[in-house]
Amino acid sequence: MIKKKCVAMLLAGGQGSRLGVLTEKIAKPAVPYGGKYRIIDFPLSNCINSGIDTVGILTQYKPLELNDYIGSGKAWDLDRLSGGVHILPPYQGQKGGDWYKGTANAIYQNMMFIERYDPEYVLILSGDHIYKMDYSKMINQHIRTNAACTIAVIEVPLDEACRFGIMNTDSDGSIYEFEEKPENPKSNLASMGVYVFSWDKLKKYLVDDEETPDSSNDFGKNIIPAMLKSKEKLQVYKFGDYWKDVGTVDSLWEANLDLLNPKINLNLSDPNWRIYSRAGAFPPHYISDSATVENSLVTDGCEVYGNLDYSILFENVMVEEGASVEYSLVMPGAIIKRGAKVRYSIIAENAVIGENAEVGALPESVSPDEFGISVVGDNIEVGRNAQIGPKTMITDNVREGAKI
Amino acid sequence: MRASAVSGIVFANARDEAVGRMTNYRSMASVPFGGRYRLIDFCLSNLVNAGITNIGVITKANYRSLMDHIGSGAFWDLDRKQGGVHLLPPFNISGARRYHGYIEALYGAMDFLNRCNSEYIVLCDGCVAANVDISAAVDFHIRKDADITVVYRTGAALEKVNNMMTMTVDSDDRLVSVDFPDSISKNELSSLGVLVFGRELLIELVNNAYENGGRNIDVDIIADRINALKICGFRHNGFSAIMTDIETYTAANMSLLSKEVRDDLFNPERRIMTKNRDDMPTRYGTKAEVKDSFVADGCVIDGEVFRSVLSRGVIVKRGATVKNSIIMQDCVIGENAIVCDAIFDKSVTLNNNTVIRGTTERTIYVEKNQII
Repeated sequence: MIKKKCVAMLLAGGQGSRLGVLTEKIAKPAVPYGGKYRIIDFPLSNCINSGIDTVGILTQYKPLELNDYIGSGKAWDLDRLSGGVHILPPYQGQKGGDWYKGTANAIYQNMMFIERYDPEYVLILSGDHIYKMDYSKMINQHIRTNAACTIAVIEVPLDEACRFGIMNTDSDGSIYEFEEKPENPKSNLASMGVYVFSWDKLKKYLVDDEETPDSSNDFGKNIIPAMLKSKEKLQVYKFGDYWKDVGTVDSLWEANLDLLNPKINLNLSDPNWRIYSRAGAFPPHYISDSATVENSLVTDGCEVYGNLDYSILFENVMVEEGASVEYSLVMPGAIIKRGAKVRYSIIAENAVIGENAEVGALPESVSPDEFGISVVGDNIEVGRNAQIGPKTMITDNVREGAKI
Repeated sequence: MRASAVSGIVFANARDEAVGRMTNYRSMASVPFGGRYRLIDFCLSNLVNAGITNIGVITKANYRSLMDHIGSGAFWDLDRKQGGVHLLPPFNISGARRYHGYIEALYGAMDFLNRCNSEYIVLCDGCVAANVDISAAVDFHIRKDADITVVYRTGAALEKVNNMMTMTVDSDDRLVSVDFPDSISKNELSSLGVLVFGRELLIELVNNAYENGGRNIDVDIIADRINALKICGFRHNGFSAIMTDIETYTAANMSLLSKEVRDDLFNPERRIMTKNRDDMPTRYGTKAEVKDSFVADGCVIDGEVFRSVLSRGVIVKRGATVKNSIIMQDCVIGENAIVCDAIFDKSVTLNNNTVIRGTTERTIYVEKNQII
């Protein structure tokens, strides 16, 4: 096997339970984003654009859709003779097998995979974030500072720091303390869930961690604290561009609509840093005489006869005449029937919103604590004239005229 | 039927002269069509959708853009160990000169025909936009025990006649007569340039015709052998357009504004595949006004677009108007500029406040890479 300088391991096994019905049937990294992408397109495209051509994808929760999507890795140029993309589910050995108990255990169970490439560095990624990042710069800093581990961080407003894993650092960027969701944060440097480890160091700590009986085998909870305790050199790598965790319905919705914000630099077809996706073979979209389309993203296969404002249509969406979609995401194959109104909502794949049905509400029309993004699950049918209020998650078909 | 039982041949330079300057730098098969396609996408997709994965593409001239488009063939699933797509540039004709007519072209591709080991060969013209059920045509050919099957359509309303073969068929679908008329009525049957042959028969017919100085399959094989061979006609019922001149090319693009045409041409059960550029979805700005238009990914639209077909990566700036036009990829329409009844080839930049106005009768064509 040809030696690789760096192997990336992408943790894609999480359920993403906070996305509710959106991850009922698929793993979070397979959740659609931005009209023609899925979340996992970001770490995969970042890898290939950073010159990393060997990626292990650790899957566990509902992997069917994800496996199918990744295929041979061709869409990201990751179909390689040596290296390329590999799906790594939990497996049985002679002494039995186990589910991945935690993020560190998932890597531990696949040490053989990493060892085949005899890498100097291992890049740990997750499938939860929207960002364009050159990992090679981070690896170069890791080499330059001679660190055992480098953790990518982003500055967050101090009053929001309590929602993140926070790195407390000395002036040279070396980490002396890691606090998960601290009540009184000492710093605003939040971990992005992107780690570079020197492989010999990581290997030692993974093996030690496995031998620690009550460990939860987690990078944040166990590996990083153990390394800090042993006085290993841990460095932060500061990242200054767009980064968003899309772990909740609200943040997924926001991260999508950020694509419509001219003040946010998130050009996904930048020739120097393209985000690749596995697009279907659909024709261009059609905007009819009866349609109005403003401030929106529309992609292949869509047919728009109604009105769009501040919305994103994914592949093959139909918006019928007189229907209106505002501040919403309509995922692949969904149909918004005649006269239906969709506002501040996420309509999942292949859902059908019946004639004159209403989903979601404008923020000004309800009290602030009642307001929120509504979600209609995939393949759900919402009957005609049904009314679905704000901040509602629809997991079953809705009868004609029902009010929820 | 095993996958290799049928091979395909595409004529990439079919009717190259028909669309004028558009083929100055490219073959007919690589002429952009319908926002994100090249004409060859229809041939390749039709063949692949029929399970035909061994395809030769016969080229004559200007095939760089075609090679660039086809690449390894992966976008049509044609990067194969068994078969795949083979570009067949002019070869082994005495003096390696360019071919005149399809007989000579096929004679030049004799190595491919001899080696491909299929029972049947499907020939396709690269100047046709249609979603043809070739699988059904091959089944028909076998069922009829035909020597040659010609796929035909009726209602050639879009095209002017120019070297088009018309035919009459009997109740058993056998060709009774063919003609090459100067004008064509709506009810007449005309060839779609898709032909099914037994491979060995095709080799024999091509060799004979070549030796006798024949050039044209329609004239020197079909018309010539109409009684001697069993030649049948298979009817294509859906949309079709043969690019016989720039007017039919324009009209065929514009017909994509009809849902009926889109649903037929882009039938979800037989997808038309093309090279993917990984553009972002198209972004519509606050001042965008778009009506009755067919728009590919990667466009940024801040102006007005009416009754037009926009390819990938077109930028329509604030205050600009695009009307009744076909705009190919990566064109930029500057602020307050106006484009009316025009075809812009790739990467044309129209400066701010500039006006290009054709008429419904006379579309203006702007060559690629122009800055106006």
